[in-house]
Amino acid sequence: MSIISLQDVTVNFEDHTVLKSIQLEIPAGESFVIVGPSGQGKTTLLKVMAGLVTPQNGKVFVEQKEWITLSRKERLSVLKKVGILFQKNALFDSLTCVQNISFPLRETTELSDWEITKKAEYFLDAVGIPHARDLYPDEISGGMQKRLGIARALALDPEIIFYDDPTAGLDPITSRKIIELILKLKREKGSTIVAITNDMNRAFQMADRIGMVVDQELVITGNPEQTKNHADPRVHQFVRGLLQGPLTATP
Amino acid sequence: MTTVISLLDQMGGTLMFLQKILRTIFFKKLKTHEIFEQIWKVTVDSFPTTAMAGFFVGAIMTVQFGLQLKEFGALGYLGALATSGTFREIGPLLIAFMLSGKVGAFTSAELGTMKVTEQIDAVRCLGADPLQEIIVPRFIGIIVASFFLLAAGLAMSVFGGILMGELFAGVNYEEYLRHVPLIVSPISILTGLVKCGTFALVLATICTYQGYTTFGGAKGVGRSVVTTAVTTMICIVVMDWMTSFIGDILLTIIRGYRP
Repeated sequence: MSIISLQDVTVNFEDHTVLKSIQLEIPAGESFVIVGPSGQGKTTLLKVMAGLVTPQNGKVFVEQKEWITLSRKERLSVLKKVGILFQKNALFDSLTCVQNISFPLRETTELSDWEITKKAEYFLDAVGIPHARDLYPDEISGGMQKRLGIARALALDPEIIFYDDPTAGLDPITSRKIIELILKLKREKGSTIVAITNDMNRAFQMADRIGMVVDQELVITGNPEQTKNHADPRVHQFVRGLLQGPLTATP
Repeated sequence: MTTVISLLDQMGGTLMFLQKILRTIFFKKLKTHEIFEQIWKVTVDSFPTTAMAGFFVGAIMTVQFGLQLKEFGALGYLGALATSGTFREIGPLLIAFMLSGKVGAFTSAELGTMKVTEQIDAVRCLGADPLQEIIVPRFIGIIVASFFLLAAGLAMSVFGGILMGELFAGVNYEEYLRHVPLIVSPISILTGLVKCGTFALVLATICTYQGYTTFGGAKGVGRSVVTTAVTTMICIVVMDWMTSFIGDILLTIIRGYRP
């Protein structure tokens, strides 16, 4: 049974089509990684799944519920099962690290202040930044901000977690550690992961299945091995990082 | 033609946004802690500039009226006329301009930055309503704080007027204040309060709307701040004329009152 389902989804921004007739089924517990050249609509696709962008055509189902038909109350109950790490983390810069994690708990649960703080501290510990408890996001490093973003995304014990480029701007060692952390938390919680990355090594490390967004479409390339040997010349060029091929580099 | 359409689009968008804010205020639970925090922040942050500006406006009004009244030997009315003008017109307008430049631009930049860094999307994704959580506290904060600032600005303007009356026209403070109750009627105070509330409503709506609809990174934030500053200034002046005009008609009809 698919936990996320996209049926014939088309997204336009003004007169420009970003995604066209996208079909996708993601089963529960899968780690699905979206790759593709910059500016092709990977983040838009992720935001469509998370209910942040409404497509002009097609249907989006999360847990067999269609986003657009949900009332505010139903939407809230679905959102409680969804965690999201934004590309630039989107941390609340007026709140400390522990307050950032407490925010969703305070908004959507009936827990007491003491329980919320304990839970937030548990997640700070889980992502390895307990010492940053009372610091503000701009007082910690990029890697720590990513960890904090992950901790906030996990705060509600979500069944689905969206990661928008979790290793962007990080050095290779920190990137690897972040992916290991994501996989460790996935194993512990058994959640479904949808992640975007442009780093093929990290994609292979993380993915059960890979899809490439290119030319307004989503090409499902299969598991890491199948992706490495995919016949589509665009996938072949992107995976190997070749300059020659149908894809042109963004200046 | 495109400019006219864009202007109408902005006006329509702002009014629809105001409708959403009002619906949130009346039908959803208010975040009282955040609201009080915003009221405190706006009042405290703007108090020094507003008080200083109020002081000098009172002083200027006294000098200007003093020059005229001296000619007619009516310096006894100096305080009353200067205070009335400040209460009815200059005070609310001054507070609105001060808030527009300081709080309006700040709120627009703050919300714009939150929008372009996806913090507003994050609020929504984490199960909260951005209007309830972020916009409404700022909206109410600006409106309520503007009345406190008006009171502070007016008090300082009277003080500035007394000081300048003494130094410039040789009118002591008792003489200065003696005719104030005669000319500054409850209607004058009500007029000032209505104007203050109207200007604050306009400012709070425009700056939150511009911030909330920001797009396009740092350049977009800059654009929102400039649009907020320009639009609020124009709208405040237009609303000043409108409130004076409508108020005059209403008072004439209801009470046969002539200011």
